[in-house]
Amino acid sequence: MPYLGGEDTVRELRRALSNPNVQSDQLRYRNTILKVIRAMSQGVDVSGLFSDMVKACATVDIVQKKLVYVFLCSYAALNPELSLLVINTLRKDCQDPNPMVRSLALRNMTNLRLPSLMEYVEQPLTAGLRDRAACVRRVAVLGWAKLHNLQPNSEIDAAVVNELYSLLRDPDPVVMVNCLRALEEILKEEGGIAINKPITHHLLNRLKESDVWGQCEVLRILQRYRPQSEDELFDILSLLDASLVSPHPQVMAATLSLFLSLCSGLPAVSLAALERVRGPLLAACGSVSRELRFTALCHIQLLLRSLPGLMGAHYKRFFCGYAEPAYIKQRKMQVLVELVNDDNVTMLLDELKGYCTDVNTDTAQAAISAIGRIGRSYSDRCLEILTGLLALKQEHITSAVVQTMRDLVWVCPQCSDTVCLALEGCEETLQDSQGRQALLWLLGVYGEQVSSAPYTLEVFIDGVRSEVSLGVKMELLTTTMRLFLCRPAETQDMLGRLLHYCIEEEPDMCVRDQALLYYRLLHCGIEETQKVLQGRRSDPSLGVLIGRPSEPISQWACSFNTLEPLRQGTVETDSTISASRCTDASADVPASSIAAPLSLSLSPALSPEEFERLWLQRQVLHSEQEQIQFPAIPHCSPQSLQAAMQLVNIQTLAFTPPHTLPWRVYLYTHTQHAGDSPHITLILGELLYTGEEELKVTLKQQPRDDKALKGFLSILTTVLHTLVTQLVWFIAR
Amino acid sequence: MIGGLFIYNHKGEVLISRVYRDDIGRNAVDAFRVNVIHARQQVRSPVTNIARTSFFHVKRSNIWLAAVTKQNVNAAMVFEFLYKMCDVMTAYFGKISEENIKNNFVLIYELLDEILDFGYPQNSETGALKTFITQQGIKGQHQTKEEQSQITSQVTGQIGWRREGIKYRRNELFLDVLESVNLLMSPQGQVLSAHVSGRVVMKSYLSGMPECKFGMNDKIVIDKQGKGGASDEAGKSGKQSIAIDDCTFHQCVRLSKFDSERSISFIPPDGEYELMRYRTTKDIILPFRVIPLVREVGRTKLEVKVVIKSNFKPSLLAQKIEVRIPTPLNTSGVQVICMKGKAKYKASENAIVWKIKRMAGMKESQISAEIELLPTNDKKKWARPPISMNFEVPFAPSGLKVRYLKVFESKLNYSDHDVIKWVRYIGRSGIYETRC
Repeated sequence: MPYLGGEDTVRELRRALSNPNVQSDQLRYRNTILKVIRAMSQGVDVSGLFSDMVKACATVDIVQKKLVYVFLCSYAALNPELSLLVINTLRKDCQDPNPMVRSLALRNMTNLRLPSLMEYVEQPLTAGLRDRAACVRRVAVLGWAKLHNLQPNSEIDAAVVNELYSLLRDPDPVVMVNCLRALEEILKEEGGIAINKPITHHLLNRLKESDVWGQCEVLRILQRYRPQSEDELFDILSLLDASLVSPHPQVMAATLSLFLSLCSGLPAVSLAALERVRGPLLAACGSVSRELRFTALCHIQLLLRSLPGLMGAHYKRFFCGYAEPAYIKQRKMQVLVELVNDDNVTMLLDELKGYCTDVNTDTAQAAISAIGRIGRSYSDRCLEILTGLLALKQEHITSAVVQTMRDLVWVCPQCSDTVCLALEGCEETLQDSQGRQALLWLLGVYGEQVSSAPYTLEVFIDGVRSEVSLGVKMELLTTTMRLFLCRPAETQDMLGRLLHYCIEEEPDMCVRDQALLYYRLLHCGIEETQKVLQGRRSDPSLGVLIGRPSEPISQWACSFNTLEPLRQGTVETDSTISASRCTDASADVPASSIAAPLSLSLSPALSPEEFERLWLQRQVLHSEQEQIQFPAIPHCSPQSLQAAMQLVNIQTLAFTPPHTLPWRVYLYTHTQHAGDSPHITLILGELLYTGEEELKVTLKQQPRDDKALKGFLSILTTVLHTLVTQLVWFIAR
Repeated sequence: MIGGLFIYNHKGEVLISRVYRDDIGRNAVDAFRVNVIHARQQVRSPVTNIARTSFFHVKRSNIWLAAVTKQNVNAAMVFEFLYKMCDVMTAYFGKISEENIKNNFVLIYELLDEILDFGYPQNSETGALKTFITQQGIKGQHQTKEEQSQITSQVTGQIGWRREGIKYRRNELFLDVLESVNLLMSPQGQVLSAHVSGRVVMKSYLSGMPECKFGMNDKIVIDKQGKGGASDEAGKSGKQSIAIDDCTFHQCVRLSKFDSERSISFIPPDGEYELMRYRTTKDIILPFRVIPLVREVGRTKLEVKVVIKSNFKPSLLAQKIEVRIPTPLNTSGVQVICMKGKAKYKASENAIVWKIKRMAGMKESQISAEIELLPTNDKKKWARPPISMNFEVPFAPSGLKVRYLKVFESKLNYSDHDVIKWVRYIGRSGIYETRC
């Protein structure tokens, strides 16, 4: 083994290298050097041979030279003094008539990575920039970038920078692109290479000559250019049109990215460009290599955020193959959820149903939660599938189904009957803590509809001693409390037992505190307890907002064609988990909101003139002022604010542009109580932000109805809250 | 840009490591091994982020190739680069395997040096690379001294993929149209998705600097020419033309000419290379139809009947037909009856494999099997994986036809007629699955 006989090997190799007979026979010499390199890559420390190898460097045989250079570059850092000996040979090689030798010498000179040798390297590098062979110039140009990287603090001579700029006009396309790369690195502190009109036009005209890597580089750097006139912009766009539908996905993506940055002010053009890349993008999704398919899918997800309808007709392209890796399947499902519409919902659900029994548990659970998300708009069909899955009695499937049902009920309360029916008997198959937590939450909130709820709970309470999951214990406490409120006779006894255990025996501080809190709460009387525990069962306004409004393209354009979209999936799955946990927690918060649901409507519409007249008529209207804490709101775009408001039927009439002070928005709506007789009131509102901590809300109403006003305010805060969290999320990214 | 490139074997031992930039530390090699190769769960994504360093990996047989970077790069580009690297290595020493990599490590270091400089892709055409690379792959033939001295002309010349002064006694060229058909069919016989990805591979042994022109029955070209030509002929050929969804060419094809006139003209590299790659999704000739019938008889028995129908001209012969019928995990015994070919139950693969050597077009064949199951407590439903199929047919399932390939060489006096041309069509199955 080389590891054992390391020293012997080195001694033997040294003897061979210094043997004059070997040195005179080129083939034998070369083979010996090959043995050195082999030993090196096997992990033997051959640094002791450095001086012998330096000698071997002075040869006319290119093969031998290359081998020696591989050795020198790996060990130069260990022997800075001896490396000085190599420099001489290298500099001599830089004068060699063979361009390959010249480029080789130059490249290795810069690859030695020794700051002490810098002074010897600069002169050959300068000469290399003017070499007549393109391959030498290629190496020399990048060599300057390497020098800069080695000593970032030292200034690179301005003359060199100028020379590099002039080499942008080099006949060899690789030299041109290398110049771009080198200047980007050298001038990093000044914001990279300066892009002006002549350079842009030059680069664009020569785009076709370079290979795909070069094209991507050029297109990326051109994103910094801002055309001076609209005519120029359109000239550039039409020049780039061919690369937009390029068969190379990476060029296509780079071009689209450039398009989006150039057309940030022209949404119509960006939309047309997106329509145009649909074909190539779909082709990339069906590409042979899975990694590329994955990348394309991630980018399609990005596009769908702005254009949900872009791929609607092509949903079949996103069906999963049996042998595809899990990460592609999960991405495809995320895309499929976005593409659902009335025509394809049957097909899509059938397909997703097939994935629910996938061998990979992650994929199966992703499929189930995808069905749940479709359930927000097609609840009946989805619930049918979900209840069907429960019959399989599979541990991981049941857990995912129960979690999905919990999330679904939170936004679609009308599903609760079906869900309650389905819950019977599934506690036997549930094993993991997440699934049991979900089941407990459902039992707590819909306890009076599930006849067997107390019995199920009893099993849980009896086993609480052996329970390990903290989350389950906490949830169990809350659920038992809630169930006690609606079915006191059946639950009282077990609640007592549970509280006793948690307060007296439970080692975990959190659970004990929670139990103590409930215990003291019960002392305060049933009404107080009810006020704390009987929170909202669902949040319909959230449901509408989750059908995300389409975002403006500019919100993601800057992250297109980078690593960002590939990372997002993981972030997104995490955030859905935390969101579902939030729903559990939020139920515990004392609910100040309305009891009876309130519905808002936009009709009859109000014209801006009428609004103004009514707003100024003080005596007719009842007015009220409120302060809400949303300092981030004025930073969000008017479009997203308007879209969000419209989803809950609030019409915004006028706004000041974002980031101005004072920032104002005017809005109106009509409120109506669901159960009561038709009792409609008109609400006018003004949001005012003057730069302090709070957002001032002024509401005017006709006729007066305090309950409606309170309800409206809670809806408004929910909308604003959702907007802010979205906004913060974007900023964070 | 790419900060470094590592090659590991299946155990996670480093075979090749090349670091291009200083921001990639020595521990990066180990970080990837620990977090991805030795990770307990399946690969979560082809891109892994560890301590602000991104690792892009592809796997070829049991070899891992990982590109590392600290920058926010274009992911598609890095993956394309890794594929290119694999292609180049395959061109030099054949299959990418641990043994081949160990035997050719000097060559690989040399390749890595030429292809990437400071992490930027420089030169990735196998043809052009050959002149820079001194080592030969195990299969490669020895390079002569003259070839090395020709570098100057090639490095400065415009055509990077062909050197001057090539001479052959016999001017010959071979065109292979290689296609793979992919199909996903529902049990009811509904096509869920189907596409053909094809390649036109050319082997050219031509003297001098020949100018070639390639023609095929692409719909757009035919329509364009149909306008000028006789309407009768246009109608006839129009029927046979095909719609290509997208295509990629070798760098030698003049793209500007393709964009303006849809004509494919080029100076070919010497030897074998891939002229174009394309994809079609419309009017695909599906060579075989698989009709599955699965019946569960009680809890311990399963009856499977599968009919395959060949759907092409009776004069053609399909070869190497293999149908793979998956069986449940708790299978205890299988009885198979088939009219043609041989069928076997392979317990290790959980499948019945039915092989037929040859089958003519418009024929039908059937297999029926009785599968006995062990009774289990496991309530897990059998996932019913799809029935997959492999075959090879002597035509192009996309309908692509080579119409002409003309060769012009103005300096040397040989004409198009003197060139011997061979054209061959091979259609293979890609992922050809029918759900049951």
